Order: sequence, then C-alpha cells, then structure tokens
Amino acid sequence: MTEPTLVWDDVRITYAGGNVAVDGVSLEVERGGTVGLAGESGCGKSTLAMSVLRLLPRSARIEGRIVLQGEEVAGMTWGRLRAVRWTEAAIVFQGAMHSLNPVRQVRHQVAEALALHSTKEFPDSAARLRRVDELLALVDLTPAKGRAYPHELSGGQRQRVMIAMALACDPELIIADEPTTALDVVVQAQVLDVLNGLVRDRELTLVMISHDLAVLAAVCDRIVVMQDGRIVEQGKAQQILAAPTHEHTKELAAAFPIIGDPSSRLVVGRDPGSLSDHSSLSVSTSSTGGVVLEVRDLTVDFRSRGQHVRAVDHVDLSCGAGEIVALVGQSGSGKTTLARTILGLQKPTSGQVLHEGKPLPHRRAALKAYRRQVQYVLQDPTASLNPKHTVYEAVAEGIRIHGLDDERERVIRALTRAELTPPERFFAAIPQELSGGQRQRVVIAGALALDPTYLVADEPVASLDASVRGEILALLLQLRRDLGLGALVITHDLGLAWNIADRVVVMHRGQIVENGPVEQVLLDPQHDYTKSLLAVVPSKLGLR
Amino acid sequence: MTVIETVPADSEDTRGSSLPRYLALKAGGALISLALVVVLGFFMFRIIPGDPAINMTRGRQVSPGEVERLRQEMGLDQPLLVQFWRFVRDLFTGDLGTSYVYRRPVTELIGDYIGPTLLLTGTAAIISVVLGLWLGQKAAWRRGSWFDKIHTGVALVFWSVPTFWLGLLLLLVFGGGLGWFPTGGMSTAASTDTGIAHVLDVAHHLVLPVVTMVAVIYAQYLMVMRASVLEEMSADYLTTARAKGLREDLVRTRHAVPNALLPTVTLIFLTLGLLIAGTVTVETVFSWPGLGYLTYKGLSAPDFPLVQGTFVVFSAAVIVMNFIADLLYRVLDPRLKSS
Amino acid sequence: MTTSGQAAIRARRRARFTEVVREIASHPSALIGAGLLLLIVVLALLAPVLMPMDRLDVTKITAHGNESPSGGHWLGTDPSGRDVLGLLLWGSRASLLVGFSATAIAMVIGTVFGMAAGHFTGLTRAVVLRIIDFFLVVPSLVLAIVLSTVLSRGLSTIVIAIGVTSWAQTARVVRAQTLTIETRPYIERSRALGAGDRHIIGKHVLPAVMPLVMANTTLTVGSAIILESTLAFLGLGDPTTFSWGSMLKTALDTGAATAGYWWFVLAPGVAIVIVVLCFTLVGRALEAVLNPTLRSR
Repeated sequence: MTEPTLVWDDVRITYAGGNVAVDGVSLEVERGGTVGLAGESGCGKSTLAMSVLRLLPRSARIEGRIVLQGEEVAGMTWGRLRAVRWTEAAIVFQGAMHSLNPVRQVRHQVAEALALHSTKEFPDSAARLRRVDELLALVDLTPAKGRAYPHELSGGQRQRVMIAMALACDPELIIADEPTTALDVVVQAQVLDVLNGLVRDRELTLVMISHDLAVLAAVCDRIVVMQDGRIVEQGKAQQILAAPTHEHTKELAAAFPIIGDPSSRLVVGRDPGSLSDHSSLSVSTSSTGGVVLEVRDLTVDFRSRGQHVRAVDHVDLSCGAGEIVALVGQSGSGKTTLARTILGLQKPTSGQVLHEGKPLPHRRAALKAYRRQVQYVLQDPTASLNPKHTVYEAVAEGIRIHGLDDERERVIRALTRAELTPPERFFAAIPQELSGGQRQRVVIAGALALDPTYLVADEPVASLDASVRGEILALLLQLRRDLGLGALVITHDLGLAWNIADRVVVMHRGQIVENGPVEQVLLDPQHDYTKSLLAVVPSKLGLR
Repeated sequence: MTVIETVPADSEDTRGSSLPRYLALKAGGALISLALVVVLGFFMFRIIPGDPAINMTRGRQVSPGEVERLRQEMGLDQPLLVQFWRFVRDLFTGDLGTSYVYRRPVTELIGDYIGPTLLLTGTAAIISVVLGLWLGQKAAWRRGSWFDKIHTGVALVFWSVPTFWLGLLLLLVFGGGLGWFPTGGMSTAASTDTGIAHVLDVAHHLVLPVVTMVAVIYAQYLMVMRASVLEEMSADYLTTARAKGLREDLVRTRHAVPNALLPTVTLIFLTLGLLIAGTVTVETVFSWPGLGYLTYKGLSAPDFPLVQGTFVVFSAAVIVMNFIADLLYRVLDPRLKSS
Repeated sequence: MTTSGQAAIRARRRARFTEVVREIASHPSALIGAGLLLLIVVLALLAPVLMPMDRLDVTKITAHGNESPSGGHWLGTDPSGRDVLGLLLWGSRASLLVGFSATAIAMVIGTVFGMAAGHFTGLTRAVVLRIIDFFLVVPSLVLAIVLSTVLSRGLSTIVIAIGVTSWAQTARVVRAQTLTIETRPYIERSRALGAGDRHIIGKHVLPAVMPLVMANTTLTVGSAIILESTLAFLGLGDPTTFSWGSMLKTALDTGAATAGYWWFVLAPGVAIVIVVLCFTLVGRALEAVLNPTLRSR
C-alpha cells in the first residue's frame, strides 16, 4: 500500500486563551481518497484543514504530527513551506466571500500562483495567461471572465475561479473549505458538479469541509463527523447519511429531510416519538378559519444603479388563520421583498395588502396598530437582537412601543410560550450569553408578546446550526397547535417546507409559479422551475 | 481637526451609479459648497454684530466722517440683497474688492502671493505623502514591534504640536541660534542672483517652513495608512495569497497595500486642501510671502476685503481638492466602476 | 423585574465597567495620559490657591522682566516680570475651559447632525449631508479665523468659533456608525414591532453611538486646545485672559524668541503638547476599547 497523502496524528490545536479547537484528532487520507469533514460551526473542522499548510494565526499552538506526502509540516522551513503551498496541496476557499483580492482582475490572481511555482513551464506572463484561460475552461468559464474583477462575477463564478486557482499548479491534494456555502441550491449543484468531475478525472485527493452532510456525500466517499474538536463518527458517505449511529450525526442528518419521507412530515425535533400523540397536528387547511392576510396583484419596483428592477411582479397570495405557508425561492426571487411589503416595511408600487379584509393603512398610527397584529421573525437571531438589551427588554420592547399594561405578565407569558422556562431565569441575560436557538426563541417571544394574529418568518432557521433547526421548527408547529397561530415562512429550503408547511408557494423572478398543498407541489411538481429546484435538493444529490 | 483614521463613509450612496451620474452628483455637491462659501463669505462679514465699517477699523482711531465715507465706498448704504448681488457679480468677473492696507485689488494681491504658497505646500505635500504612507504601511505590518511603537509615538507627538510653535522652535534653534538657515522670507533681500544660485537661495529659505509643515502633516498620513493596512490585514484574500506560497513582503506590497491605498487617496487630497489653509501659521512664522502671510497681514490690519478674499480662495481650493479626490477614488477602485 | 434580575444587570454593568477600565489600563500610555490630565485639571482648579492672582499683578511684583529660571521663579519671568509658572497655571484654566466647552458644542452638533444624516432619508438627509460636507471641506482654521474676526473679542467667541468649526468630523463618524446600526436586523425588528423614529434613535442608535462620541470628545478637546492657541497666536484671542496661546503671542510680540528668552517660548508650548498628547492617547485608547470595529486591531 502506498503512503497516505495526508496524515493527522493525534493533533491538538489550541488558540490563545486556552481555547482548544482540535482535540486529539487522528485521520489518514489515502492517495486519491475523497474525505468530507462535517460538523457545526466551531467544531474545529476548518482549523484542522488550515493546519495542513500552517495557515493558522500565530497564536495557535499545534501538538501532534501533520504529515503531508511523507513530510512533516511542522519541520518545514519557511522557504520549503512556501514551495509546498499550492504545489502539493491547494485550498479552495469560500470564494463567495472575500477570498479574492477585490482590486485585481481574477486572471492575474490565478496567474500569480503560476508565476510563483511554474516559471519553467510558463516563463513569461503571456504563457501564464494562456494557461489561465485553459484553467478557466476547465471550470466552464470563458477567458473574458478572467478579465473581470471579483465583484463583477456571480457567487458561483467566483467559486469556480477559486477552483481554477487551486488547480493551477497541479497539486496532489485539494482542500475545499465550505466551497458551496452561501450559494443557491442550483448554483451549488453546478459547482459541486465541476468539483466532482475534476477530482475524478485527475484522480485528486480531496478533503472537503461542510456543515451539510448531503453536500459532502455528493462528492466524497468517506465522511468524518466532528464535534467539539473530536471525531465522533466516520464511515462511508452513504452509510453516514442513511444510517447514522452517533446522536450528533443524526441531528446533522435530520436537518436535510428526505422529501417524500412521511416520518419527517409535520414532525420535527430530536425525538419524533414525543410528538406522535399529537396526531391531530396536521390541521387541514379547510378546517382553519378565514383568510388573515391577503395580497392582491402586488408589484414592487426598486431603483438600482439607475435602472428599475421589479422585485415582486403582480403577486396574489392569501394566508388563512392558523395556516403555515412556505414561500420558497432562490435568493433574488423577491421573497424577502414580498415579506417586507406585507409587513408595511416596504411601499408597494401597485397592488394591495389586506389584513382581515382591510387594506394596509398608510397613516403612521394605523400602521402601528397593524404591526401589533402581524409579527416578524428574522433570519439571524444574533443580529436581530440588540446586543446591549437584556432578554426582558427585548421581549418588552413591543409592549412598551404600544403602551400595553401588565408588562411583566406579558413578558412571562411570551417567554413561557416560546419555551424559555422558567422565564425569570432569562430576564437579565443578554443575547451573547444565550445559544443560537435560545436567541431565536427570544425573537419569537418578542413577537408573541403582542398577541399577533399571524407570523411572518424570514428564513427562521437558515443561520442556525443543524441541531437547533429542529427545535425552532417544532416550536412553530407547537404555537400553531396551542394558539392557532399561522405563519408565512420564507425559505430557500424545500426540506423545511416538507417539515412544517401546509402549503407551498414557489416564487421565481418576482412571480409565483406554483402554489398548492405541500404533498402535491413537492411530490408532483407541475412547473419546470419547481422541478429544477427539487432536482438539486442536496439530499437528492447525496443519493444519486 | 481630529485625526481622521476611518475610511470615508459617503461612497455608498453613489456606489455603482454610472460615471456621468456620479460626476454630476459630485460636481453638484462641490458647486453647492462653493456657493455656500460665497454666501458665508459675504454675510458673515455683514450680518454678525455691529457695523462692518467699524469692525473693519477696529483698533484704529477713525472719525465719524471717515466711517461714513467707508460705508459709502463699501456700498453699505444699499439694501443687503443689492450688496450681495454686487458681490456675486463682481466675484464672477474676478473682482474681490480692494485691499485697504495695500490699496490694490485683492485678486491681484492673491495672484502675486499664490506662487510661493503653492511651492511651499507642494514640496511639503510630496514629502509627507511619501514619508507618511511608507512608514504607515510598515508600522501596520509590524504591529506591536519597536518600529511601530516608535513611529506611531513620534507621529502622535508631532500631531499634538501646534504648528506655529514648532516653527518658532525651529527658527530659534536653526535660524537664530545655529544660523544654519535664514530666519524668514523667500530669498535673500539684497541678492541679485539669478539662475541656479537663485534656486538654491530659495531652496535654502524653503527648508525650515517645509520641515515644519511635513512634521505636522506626515503624522496624519502615517496614522491613516497604518489604520487602513490594519483593516486589510485580516482580509481573507491575504490568506489566499499566503496559501499560494507568496512571500510575506509580496503579500503586503501586492495585495494589502493596493487595497489599503484606496481609502487613503481620498484623504490625501482632502488634507492637501487643508494643508494650503494651514499655511496661515507657518507662513506667518517664517514671513514666507504667500497667501497665509497675506491673510495674517489682513487679520492684523484688519483688512476685511483681503480676509474675505483669502477665505474664498482657501475654501475653494479645499473644495476643488475634495472633488478631485472623489474622481480619483472612482477611477482607482474597480468596484466603483459600474459593470 | 425581579430584584435578582436587577442585581444581575447591575453586576454585569459593573463587570463591563471594570472590563473597560482594565482594557484601557492595558494601554499604559493611556493610563499615564489620564493620570497627567487629572493632575493638570486639579492644578488648574487650585490655581487661585497655589498662585494668588495678586502675585501676577504687574503693579505689585518686584521681579525683573525676562529673568531666567531660578529657585524663586522655576520657569523664569515674562517681559513684565510675572512668574511664568504662575501664568502657566492660570493659562491652563482658559485653555482647558475653551477646550472643554468648544468640544461640548461640537459634540452636540456633531451627534445630532450625524444621527440625522444616518437615520433619515430623502430631503432631510440630503440637506443635512450637504451641511456636514460643507463643514468638512471648509478649512476649519480659516473659518474659525473669520468667525473670531467678525465676532466681538472674548472667550465665548473663541469657544463658539472653535465649536462651530470642529463638529463635522464627529458628525461623519457618528453618521457612519448610525448607518451601520441602521442596517442591523434588530432595527428592522423594532420597526416591525411598530417603533417610530424616536424609539429607534433613542433606544438603539443613540446608545450605540455614545461610546464613539466619548472617544471623539477626548480627541477633539486636544485639537480645540491647539486651535485656541493658534487663534491667540494670530492675535484673535481674548486679550483680557491668560491662556497658553496668548502667552506665546506675547512671547512673539516682545521678541522673546529672537532675544533668547527660551523659557518663555518653551514653557507654554510644552504645556500644550503634553495636554494635547494626553488627550490624544486617552482618546485613542478609548476608541480602541469602545469601538468594536477597531477591536480587532
């Protein structure tokens, strides 16, 4: 058997302040192997990957051995290390973010790697730029794209540039750090395709990092699950995805339910059994009350760069009392604009929003009264709470704005309903002291404190770790059961719709292309766009 | 005049708009500022308490008849709006009134005195920009080192020194005490040198004023460049560059510095204008025959048309510099060019 | 709210306060600066006790003019025979008073304009931004010179001239911070809860910009003191009060610099440098501690 490409031998990485990021990890990546590192944010997976090329901040202390192609990384001189970087191992950074220099054309950034390491093959800059065009062609980009600055490229294109850059010096090992995070599902599927094809064709060794098991399973043969700096489970990708044994792996896997699987329909949470006695959970739409919210022929235009952009294009929509409606679409489809217009945070260009049959008022006082009725839950609970306000102040904010009495009782009731019990214990806490899930519960409690008739939730779990996702979705179901509170849930995640919604509304380029009960739309999609969305759902990618 | 260390925040409004639109917006803004300067330059001297004629003769013994004559001469017997209209009309024909001390048109005086000011500020600006930026990026890259500590420390001390006092000290030590440099003026009065000799003579006179200006202004460039580079130091694209195997000094010069320079450019141009205005004290100390010295003369007379004239010119210079800075930023930063 | 909850909040505030103090203490230069400033303020307040005014009365003093430093007069005497150390003490009162009051004016104007320019949209913002831009580009020294030329002489004129011309930087910083805060989702949440402008500015924006304003205050006091001395040097100060600037003006007028009376030129200048440097050091440390975006540096 040949020597493994990469070995971590009992590696322990400590940051300044004694924070242990990686705690005794041993892992071998064989030549040509494809390994996925999975885990939630802060589990140490990125730290582990960056340690291969000694790219960690100086404050990090590394114990144990890291061996790349038979050579111990810690023993390399700076000169040797620089020579190894990119020629033996290259990294695909999360290009959608800021990994490209914003003021240089991308082709020069790719060529830079060639100028450093391959001056023999490509002696002058013209030769290097020709090579860059070839590399860009490998990732399906035209040479013209190479002349673009990073901000002129889409997220998917930038990610491909990152891949082309990693391939520049024909490295043995590619490390891909969250290469598709922040990309839309359709684009994610394209990027994964490109990566997959290149790895197979060139027999590369790949270490890929993601929080998304399904994404890893789409490319990697083997998956390693990490938690708190340790490896908790590893095995063949299909086996990890289909039959996880460790509790944490199960949580990660549950975040990507298989659409069509009845066991994940209107049931979420760590332990499906506990909810089974509420078989009446799936209140059918017909049995709910009348229409609470209605949108009639709504159009919203923006002025951007001196051009008119139509974000919402003649949309009709209605939400019944107690009904959970999932509004699904990619980023840029206009779904958030629609939600903000419904909440009166954005002026419509034409059309109407009606609440209980009455059109949305324009006057300040009347709008304020309306906002008591329909409440907003935002995507990132960390950002949607003022870091300086205590939980009590955050929940009481709405009560104070509307000058309601019994402030304390209302806060206690709202926190209890949001399952933050005993409520008094949380009064004095500030967001920083709470977990992500608790923070989102505080946001929900703040909404409940005003006894709303309906919720609008914009990607309520998108920024939460997989293990917390289930809790919050279960809470939404619970509120519907206990209070009859319906919600318009905006999401890019069809699995979420399958988890909790009664009805799915698919939005594409500002228009609603499909609208119907969940089972009908997701299992028997009619519109091409819905079909294409379903085709690239990560859980399907993993299983193909 | 606090130390400006943050990136200009006003670009977000115009980000991505087309070039003509951007030009129109910025030029419009500059024109409004210029108009405000003119309005302020006129009304400040007339509306704020007292009789301008008396204000103007402050500190001098004048008879009531003389005041009356002055009032007529200045057109003060006319309604205020008529006065303003005349002022604006005259301004467009390049007429800023007549100086009382020099008995000459203010425009002519400014024309005579602007050359030395440009020479002084130009030299000082070039030296401080090069020195400040170079030291700044170096200090940021070696944050916490002795190099950094010493240079930021020295910069902060210079920043805390009143310009005129530093000038006085230099004059005391190198002019009066050691006699290495002349104590004032732009050239030796009696000399009839021409050609190279004259240039050297002027350069000799230039040293102390330039050192004074550089000492005060380079500190700000250093601090801004340092802050700007530090801002970029945690950027992800630097990790990319390091991962590619780039040497640390190349990571700095190829990636960090170009990005950090962009916000700094705006600031340099903004302070170039302020530099011109800051000549008032330096030129006064060194009797350098420039606009600042002229302003000082106007202040001590007091000579109101002269002060008014230099106020308009100084402000206009800063506004124009600021406008150039906006344009330059737009040209240099590819992100601001619309795709 | 339960008493235990309030106690917890109080405890946290205390903890945060000690944390800030400790972080500032980790900048030794700032600590020295703060200590020196405290000493100078105390000395300025005690000036009437330490150096009774009649000892500086020209008609009563016995010392000769321009005496060099000695045991009797540590920093020598000025041209009229007054004790330079005494003048320095009394001068600190005017310089600090001008510095603080002018800064107070600048901070109020700067905070109000900055928040308005960041919070409002449309015409209000356009007008406020224009005004800020104008005061940013008009050279403040020149504007202050013009203001103090046209207004009647006096300390209050100096204060107004400096205050009115030094707020634009603060407004710019406050505006930038306001814009950052306004993009935070908790503002959107607050709006969705029904909040109006007053609630958002009062409960969210103002508390968030205050730390920055605090840090800016210390930096502005320093430049205000320099500006005061510059105005005095140009002959625009208040002739009836002593300030460090007016001392330097006297030194210049009486030819102290060229006559070699270095103590009279050096003392007020060094005093200005020390005080301004102290304010700058404290201000920078405060900025580094209180402004989270600078934290990472």
